[in-house]
Amino acid sequence: MADGMINARIFEDLQTKIDEDADVRDQIKVILQTLERQGRNAQSILSRAHSTPAAHLQPVIASAESAIKDEVESINNLAGIASNSPYYKYNNLWTRDVQNVVFAILLCGWLGGMAMPNKPAEPGKLLTIEEVGEILNVPVNLKDRDAFHLTIEEYLQSLITLIEELARLAVNSVTLGDYARPLQISQFVKDLHAGFQILNLKNDSLRRRSDSIKYNVKKIEDIVYDLSLRNLVPKST
Amino acid sequence: MTGIKRHHDGAKKENEVKASPFMPMFEQFRDELDQHHDRRERIIKASRDITAASKKIIFSLQRVRTLKAEIPEKIAKETRDRAEAMQKQFVAIVPDLEGINAWRYQRQISGGIQEYMEAISFEHYLRTQTLITLEEASKLLPDTIDLTGDDYVLGIFDLVGELMRFAITTIATTGALPGSTSEPGGRDVLIDLRSLRTSFQALDTTSCGGTGLGKDVEKKMEVMKTCVEKVETAVYGLIIRGRERPKGWVPDLADDRGAPVESY
Repeated sequence: MADGMINARIFEDLQTKIDEDADVRDQIKVILQTLERQGRNAQSILSRAHSTPAAHLQPVIASAESAIKDEVESINNLAGIASNSPYYKYNNLWTRDVQNVVFAILLCGWLGGMAMPNKPAEPGKLLTIEEVGEILNVPVNLKDRDAFHLTIEEYLQSLITLIEELARLAVNSVTLGDYARPLQISQFVKDLHAGFQILNLKNDSLRRRSDSIKYNVKKIEDIVYDLSLRNLVPKST
Repeated sequence: MTGIKRHHDGAKKENEVKASPFMPMFEQFRDELDQHHDRRERIIKASRDITAASKKIIFSLQRVRTLKAEIPEKIAKETRDRAEAMQKQFVAIVPDLEGINAWRYQRQISGGIQEYMEAISFEHYLRTQTLITLEEASKLLPDTIDLTGDDYVLGIFDLVGELMRFAITTIATTGALPGSTSEPGGRDVLIDLRSLRTSFQALDTTSCGGTGLGKDVEKKMEVMKTCVEKVETAVYGLIIRGRERPKGWVPDLADDRGAPVESY
């Protein structure tokens, strides 16, 4: 046979590489199955915020924090496996689920949960990427070494989801008789929108999604307008 | 913002629009993302340049008529000069591909690396009539630039296409296949092509799914089979009809040529 042309080891080594990569992907997918389930659980708890008056929100927050704690555990399992390989080799497998966790944390924080040692919990606050990283127990925007971490893009994508969620919450707050919260949401979303406008985004999914922020801004403005038209805006003292 | 608002008595009104408290955070994000996009652009440009230079090297190498011998100096000089220029381009983007960024921009540099693989593996085959190994190919790249198994394999698929062209051109101009089976252990290009085909078909990429190797392999496998079959058809034509035809006659390659041109 023509074994002089091809060193048999070449294709053996290639096959080994392919099989090893497949193993890593399988291990990651197992963890992601759990994370996805936990994500749905956290989402369903947090969605109760749309039908719960702000004053009675504490049990929902507590429940959500517990669900998020489970997610953090899965994230750490994921980090353990993922950090054995180059970060950008497999990150497209888990990025959607990671964004869901970050969104849950951001929303819970905005509702008044996720108190941290150096930052008390209060409604309407935005958790920074560093704070989210602390909660998840992973590095953020890692540059000097190759390990699992939270990226800026993932944080920004989750912010956009938060904006969409808050637009919906503004509508439902009015239904619950809470006329102050839409104002709070309006200012918050406008402030975020201003931030997104200074980013130089290229033609990717982040750019497309951030284009939709202005529609949410308008939607919330319309609610505030509806309220002020009917003299329902709470007067500040 | 337009002019300064004033009260009735002329005093300035407080600027009612406060800046977003999130601006410092977004400014930092902007800087990071700008750096990332700039890096990406530089790598895409380098990949294009490397691809173009590699294609020129391959074009030059297609003028070689011998197998298992040193490349004729005239051609070797051309390829050497181009290869040196390419090394400079590789070295220039080494900083952008450092550490965690090596895999971050893999898709952007992959095209250039595969084309480069094609060139160096073709050159290696012409001199040694063997398939260059991944380790040998890696050594020809700067230390910090990774040659992934995927890029190696996909580059070799493309090599098959070049070997086909090399075989057919050599048949057309010399009336014989490159390489010879006359000595013990000797192989011709067709035997080598068939080895490559067999080895590739044995490679199990089903686990790759839709990523990297998985999606490209199917297409390239089809192309490779076609290449090998073209050479087999040419050799058949050579044997069956070659004896009756003058040198320079090109065997009938139905799918991509017009009527054969006779030359004397």
